[in-house]
Amino acid sequence: MTENINDVNEKVTPEEKEEKPRLMKENDVDTVSKKQTAMKVLVQIALYAFLVIMALIVLFPFYWMIMSSFKTIDEYDALVPTLWPQNFRWDAYKVAFEKVDFGKIFLNTCYVGIVSTILSLVITVLAAYAFARFNFKGKNALFAAMLATMMIPGELFTITNYITTVGWFGWDNTFIILIVPFLVSVFYIYLLRQNFMQIPNELYLAAKVDGTSDLKYLWKVMIPLSAPTLISITILKMMGSWNSYIWPSLVNSDKAYWLMTVALRTADFGEGAYVDYPAQMAAVVLVTIPLFLVFLFFRKYIIRGVSRSGIKG
Amino acid sequence: MDNKKKNQWKAWLYLAPTVVLLLIFTVWPMINTLRMSVLEGYDSLKEIGGASFSFGFDNFKQIVEFYRFKDCMLTTILLTFITVPVSTLLALVIAVALNSIKFVKKTLQTIFFLPYVTNTIAIGMVFMAMFNRIPVGDTYSYGIINNIIQAFGGEPVNWINGGSSYWANIAVVSVYIIWNALPFKILVLLGGLQGVNKQYYDAAKVDGTSRFRTFWRITVPLLSPMIAYVVITGFIGGFKEYSSVLGIFGPSMGPGNHEMDTMVGLIYESVSEQQGQASAAALILFVIIFAVTMINMYVSKKKVHY
Amino acid sequence: MKVVLQNITKIFPSRNKKTKDEVIAVNDFNFEIPDGKLVCLLGPSGCGKSTTLYMISGLQAPTSGKIFFGEDDVTKLSPENRGIGLVFQNYALYPHMTVQQNILFPLQNFKGENRLSKEVMLKRANEAAKLVQIEEYMNRKPAELSGGQQQRVAIARALVKMPRVLLLDEPLSNLDARLRLQTREEIRRIQRSTQITTIFVTHDQEEAMSISDYIVIMKLGVIMQTGKPQNVYDDPANLFVAKFLGAPPINVFSGKVENGKLYVGEEAVLDVKGVEDQEVYVGIRPEGFKLDKDGKLSVKVTGVDVMGRDISVVSTSESSLNPVVRSIISADEMGNISGDVAKFNLKEHKVFIFNKETEERVRFGKQVAAHQKIVEEMEAEGQSYVVHNGPLPREADDVAKESVLPEPPKNVFVRAFLAVKNFFIKVGEFFKKLFKKKDENKEEADATPTEEVKTETVDEIKSEEVKTEAVDEIKIEEVKTEEVSEKPKKSAKKPAKTDNEG
Repeated sequence: MTENINDVNEKVTPEEKEEKPRLMKENDVDTVSKKQTAMKVLVQIALYAFLVIMALIVLFPFYWMIMSSFKTIDEYDALVPTLWPQNFRWDAYKVAFEKVDFGKIFLNTCYVGIVSTILSLVITVLAAYAFARFNFKGKNALFAAMLATMMIPGELFTITNYITTVGWFGWDNTFIILIVPFLVSVFYIYLLRQNFMQIPNELYLAAKVDGTSDLKYLWKVMIPLSAPTLISITILKMMGSWNSYIWPSLVNSDKAYWLMTVALRTADFGEGAYVDYPAQMAAVVLVTIPLFLVFLFFRKYIIRGVSRSGIKG
Repeated sequence: MDNKKKNQWKAWLYLAPTVVLLLIFTVWPMINTLRMSVLEGYDSLKEIGGASFSFGFDNFKQIVEFYRFKDCMLTTILLTFITVPVSTLLALVIAVALNSIKFVKKTLQTIFFLPYVTNTIAIGMVFMAMFNRIPVGDTYSYGIINNIIQAFGGEPVNWINGGSSYWANIAVVSVYIIWNALPFKILVLLGGLQGVNKQYYDAAKVDGTSRFRTFWRITVPLLSPMIAYVVITGFIGGFKEYSSVLGIFGPSMGPGNHEMDTMVGLIYESVSEQQGQASAAALILFVIIFAVTMINMYVSKKKVHY
Repeated sequence: MKVVLQNITKIFPSRNKKTKDEVIAVNDFNFEIPDGKLVCLLGPSGCGKSTTLYMISGLQAPTSGKIFFGEDDVTKLSPENRGIGLVFQNYALYPHMTVQQNILFPLQNFKGENRLSKEVMLKRANEAAKLVQIEEYMNRKPAELSGGQQQRVAIARALVKMPRVLLLDEPLSNLDARLRLQTREEIRRIQRSTQITTIFVTHDQEEAMSISDYIVIMKLGVIMQTGKPQNVYDDPANLFVAKFLGAPPINVFSGKVENGKLYVGEEAVLDVKGVEDQEVYVGIRPEGFKLDKDGKLSVKVTGVDVMGRDISVVSTSESSLNPVVRSIISADEMGNISGDVAKFNLKEHKVFIFNKETEERVRFGKQVAAHQKIVEEMEAEGQSYVVHNGPLPREADDVAKESVLPEPPKNVFVRAFLAVKNFFIKVGEFFKKLFKKKDENKEEADATPTEEVKTETVDEIKSEEVKTEAVDEIKIEEVKTEEVSEKPKKSAKKPAKTDNEG
């Protein structure tokens, strides 16, 4: 075709030059197109097969959990397992309710979740506002220092926080101890600050001209505009108290102050050969279902929050 | 001038709760952990009682020489180095597959995200039930996993019960950790894939690039920042692994006695007493995590295309 | 390699389930691109020119019609089997590869007997780089190059595999004006020296005019006119083409033909013997005016733009459909304009009249013969002279809709796949009906993917998902900005209190 490109093969005759760039012969078209359609369909089938198999693997524990919870102990212990309960029984759930005081525990968890979420939101919003809107001495240094603390594993704080709260403050077996140490999340402050910074400065100046106070501006303009982030924070925080185990089990030995996961893990479903697995699975179902419901309703916000953090709960 | 001063004052007012809480629950613990780790035989109760402790590195020596320390370290490292590569690769393949389909994509996406919105400990109990075996008379009723193995003609394995092997335990915990880690990784990688300009793929298609080659030469390099992010967070999470083991094995942290204990598990066991040693262990863990993260960053700086 | 498009139609399924308003992007496109020529697809945005290009590339499949490369029917071939080179609007250079790696990339894909040795690959990459004059940047990454250089790399990458056809999708639109001029000469030079059949998509008429052997002017998926650039400019077939070509644009007046005379306003400006009496649009090229004290067309002068050799007289006229009338005259004549009224006589071959209803060209006098000559010339070159007149079928597209129904594919795999797919769609619809009352909004969101699959061919399953995802994100952003912009208005309404703090 071109002198330049065809210099690659200097001996080619003009006819060959015509032929060379052609990637296939004329009569190939039909075969090639058939092959190519077949490949496309095969690839699609393979993709779907792979994804469906993976999805089944991911779903299987949930399936097994639910099915097991409807079985009797005898059916569960049977040598030949059943994929589908012979007949659905609610007995396991009755046992689960006896072993775990779900009503009380649920209230406890909600109480801790709601109070800590509200307080945490207030603190986070105020701090993010200060960082986003004010210029004060040491602002950047403070912010950088706060971000740096995110790199340190939380386990490092736990020891001292245990000493501080239990040893010095004597807060063991209270709800306060479950709430106060976790009120500040540097990550949430960071997230919200970023959100606040995106709101154009002109809005603030316009509000100032109109004589709007800072707090009013925060409440009327910034918070509504950052609603999605705030919702994400709320949900993740609520899920956090639902799922927290280590700290509550460490500091609260009194059943009256237990949260969901502690109660579940500590509940006595029998020992050794006499474990009531269906009841245990029923309890797990009861813990899991609310999370799924929250997920279904707030999918967008959860994914939004998670994709930026990688923090579970 | 007045205005500026007032603003300064206001800013600190808004920041006050954050700063106070951070001082008490973050800054002080950092200092105190360092302090406790270098006070020999430190115990907070004794300190409140008026005891004083001498300076020294005894805590580090004792925790390292503690008979379970090596096992905890080994388990933690094994779990991390098994689960991070496997889950990342699996998540990458799933994300790419999800990105190239259309029908029921949303549904599958939701399914793959489900493990994320679960309680690690609760579902750990489900995995326990799946791998468990229950003595019935002089034989066993096996969990569903062993039933599946039997259905394919294999021998049932003692996965997690008394007398089970270390590697069987590791396998079970790894499977659970991978299952648990997939959603976040898929989410991040899929997000990254959707940000990749479609024209790169069109260009590759025009050039007749095979799917395999497209994956390795285009998708992976363009996705490398996301992959690096997922790997780094994966390593950090892996070294802090604790609840998965707890979910499957319960407080015994193993089929018998702490066979599957991790570093974090070790720290928590000594929180209420022996805080000096716990602090030393926490610092060691911190240094390891920090070093691994730095290595990761260094490698990704060389390999990652931004 | 000539490229033949036969009855090509492309219909995008509607995204809105209720209205079913499919978009006909390309409507019954028939054209033959001669071997070794450079052809421009030209038209305003949304005219289907890029879609046409993507169908030629194989990245999109036509809904109906056939595409031939030479004698080969390539309609069903996927892009890699067509032997094309494609340059994207944003170049799509792989950012993580060096220039050399980018150029080598297509060659490394060759398989089987086509496989090249490393030396040959390097040699060919170097030659392609030399051709576009970027050989000194071989080890740089695309981000380290200027826009024009990136453009050349993209062309080198498209050329290196010696394509049968080179396709360029608005390749100059991301360059600044000076670079654009330079690069378009470059493309012309490369095309001339390689003699590769090249199809170039642009919305810039000047670009198209200067670079191409033939231009194809499109509007709403329909070819409005084809031909050599100068011929199309001199002999537009309809008002759209006349208005689209030329800078400054053609002046359009409202007028009428009565008794063989052309009237603009009340003045008879030209003799048009043989033309039937009718209401017309009169298009006059800016260079079609002659300043004359006894000129028939008088306009109100509002200003004069000096352009050096020529001047452009800016004026207004009640009959003009444009806000201003621009006439370009020699600078020497400037002195002849006195006062604020200028009088012009018209050059016959620069005046086009169009029927007011159909917007179809009505030729008169010498124009008839000139037109005849152009058509004959094109036919002699084996080119079809295509024009479109009358209403555009996108408004009345019943015919197209009928022809669109996909034929059942013959392949067993495809049929099996479609059957399974349809089954799932029906199941999905069933469930949707079940849940309809409960949650209207949710149903909407779930419905979209299924509905899309239904109307699309298998080939496209992968192509458009990203958009759907992105749309959700964008919506959120939009809502945000709207809110933002509303806020100051609200606060502005309040009586202003002065801020004492400052």
